[in-house]
Amino acid sequence: MTTDTAVADPTTGEGGVPLLHTLNEWQRRVPLLQLLALAALYVYGLSTIEGFGSQRVLYAILVNASLLGLAGAGQTIVVLVGGIDFSIAAFISAGNVIIAELCGTDHWSTGAAVAVALAVGVLGGLVNGVLSYRFKVEPLIVTLGVSALLSGLVLKWINGSATGVAPAWLGTLTAANGTTFGIGIPPVVVIWAVVAIVIGLVLTRTRAGRNLYLTGVNQSAARLALVRVNRTWIYAYVASAVLATCVGILLAGYSGSGNVTIGDPYLFQSLAAVIVGGTMFGGRGDYWRTVLGALVLSVVALLLSANQLSSAAQDMITGGLILVVVGLYGRERRLRDRI
Amino acid sequence: MNALDFLRGLLGKRPYAFAGLLALLLLVVNTALQPAFLAFGNWAAVLASFAPLAVAAMASTPAILSGGGGIDISIGPLLTLIDIVIVANLLPNGLTSPFVVIPVCLAIGAAIGAVNGVLVAVLRFQPVVATLCANIVIGGLATQVQGDTVPSGSTSWTKDLAGSFGPVPGALLTIGAPLVIWWALSRTPFVKALYAVGGDDATAFSAGVNVPKVRIAAYSLGGLYAGIAGIALMSLISEGAASMSAQYTLLAIAAVALGGTSLAGGRGSLLGSLLGAASIYLINNLLNVVRVSTLWSTAIYGAMLLFAVVVGAVLTNARRRAVA
Repeated sequence: MTTDTAVADPTTGEGGVPLLHTLNEWQRRVPLLQLLALAALYVYGLSTIEGFGSQRVLYAILVNASLLGLAGAGQTIVVLVGGIDFSIAAFISAGNVIIAELCGTDHWSTGAAVAVALAVGVLGGLVNGVLSYRFKVEPLIVTLGVSALLSGLVLKWINGSATGVAPAWLGTLTAANGTTFGIGIPPVVVIWAVVAIVIGLVLTRTRAGRNLYLTGVNQSAARLALVRVNRTWIYAYVASAVLATCVGILLAGYSGSGNVTIGDPYLFQSLAAVIVGGTMFGGRGDYWRTVLGALVLSVVALLLSANQLSSAAQDMITGGLILVVVGLYGRERRLRDRI
Repeated sequence: MNALDFLRGLLGKRPYAFAGLLALLLLVVNTALQPAFLAFGNWAAVLASFAPLAVAAMASTPAILSGGGGIDISIGPLLTLIDIVIVANLLPNGLTSPFVVIPVCLAIGAAIGAVNGVLVAVLRFQPVVATLCANIVIGGLATQVQGDTVPSGSTSWTKDLAGSFGPVPGALLTIGAPLVIWWALSRTPFVKALYAVGGDDATAFSAGVNVPKVRIAAYSLGGLYAGIAGIALMSLISEGAASMSAQYTLLAIAAVALGGTSLAGGRGSLLGSLLGAASIYLINNLLNVVRVSTLWSTAIYGAMLLFAVVVGAVLTNARRRAVA
């Protein structure tokens, strides 16, 4: 179940057609189909919706994808190590509310408020990682518990309603017409690009990244190969929580104020970005794929809202599309091939 | 120390015992603080408010038991969809007879469950992927059917389900039905095959078990139970509840895990899920009884859930290590 051959489509992987076989080999290394889906959706938008190719629309898509992609970064790391994180939404909301309250209501300096938010992220991630590793409790349940605990504490702290306003400069980070050092690209997109490069390199080029994959594929084997499985697992959860908190901080700028439910849509969306990208539970995939997944989902979201569909119809089409896209490359091997 | 060893032995053999003990403890505390809680006249109301979560937890169980990463995160939206179909489509059109409503709901539930099962077992999607998409699609469908204004309505038998049929609390029927169906199925080879498939699908396949068929049946059974949960929810709140779906999905899975069912498949029971759901329900109830500010209740709920799973794991794992 955790071998990489499972990524190949078994209907063509049996050597029948050489061309398809070669394409399959490529698909395993490079997310060809994801790229193709992204290009097809974008071209479809260009040809059916007026003004889809404008810079404004492109930046709107990119800003949206950046936030989703950053939220999906932590989920990617946790999924690669063989876990799952259902507390991302709570960390996003927490980061968001902490910044808005401390800066907006209590007039802290931004640096101090960010430090507090990150500390909460580190602490929460540690609880997730330590409890699920040390006590071998299903990560799904632990992260749900931490999620309830954290959002409950945040709710109590602000007595039920967020009143804070995010510092103005945060808004410029996520504005679609923002500039980075005078270049006309929204800063959050640049931040995402830098984070993507760093995470991509760490995952594929460093020992820490290799440990992550080894732990995800087989914990016992990784332990025998002298990987510190406990640290790898716990750090993965800390990274996820911290990244989610950062998304919350950025979202405070995006929405302008604190909001205890702002993270909720990311609960399933961050997972959807990972899945559409083609990263599978336990050691298969990388962050580049999640980047593509976030882009695909953001283009789809824009296409659907541009077509003025109801949010219900948008949901139904999104769900169906994810299934179709993942069906192209992300299926399990046949049972009879696994014996 | 002996008592602890006994406890560990019990938990090692019966994974649901922890949830049972926890539920019992919480029941005692609840009753001590609020003697009216267990008063006979109160039973019907208590059981009715417990029923949706209880049945949702049981609905999540067969998919998880079927193994291979099996999980159904579309149970929450499915049961709210059924609730909405009853209030928005069936009742306003004069279809109020239980002999129409109940079969329709069960059929919708089982059919959607079967689609999930086919996606997982035949088309070989990862269960999380298939049911996440189902979750999104069904959630959208539920919002669509619900419309802009929240529909509401009820009829005599749904009121009885939330109250009582004569002396029998109506919710005993909704909570009891899944257990009876499970008991009946355990007289057939299906349940044994389900545990075999969940334990090791490749071995079960080699032994001649029709693995896809068993898995499809498991997801359909979960969908059928979700149909019952939808009826229970509808009779309790008498209105559409598209916004409650995420809450039920997550609580139901938490209840299954608390009930000692392994998310890896093959180990666990329906009874465990029921007891896990009872624990969660009683935790929430306790927070209401002691009049904790509602602002605190989410945090305390989270802390108690973490505490419960960690204590459960410490007791159960210690036993497992000792045996191994």
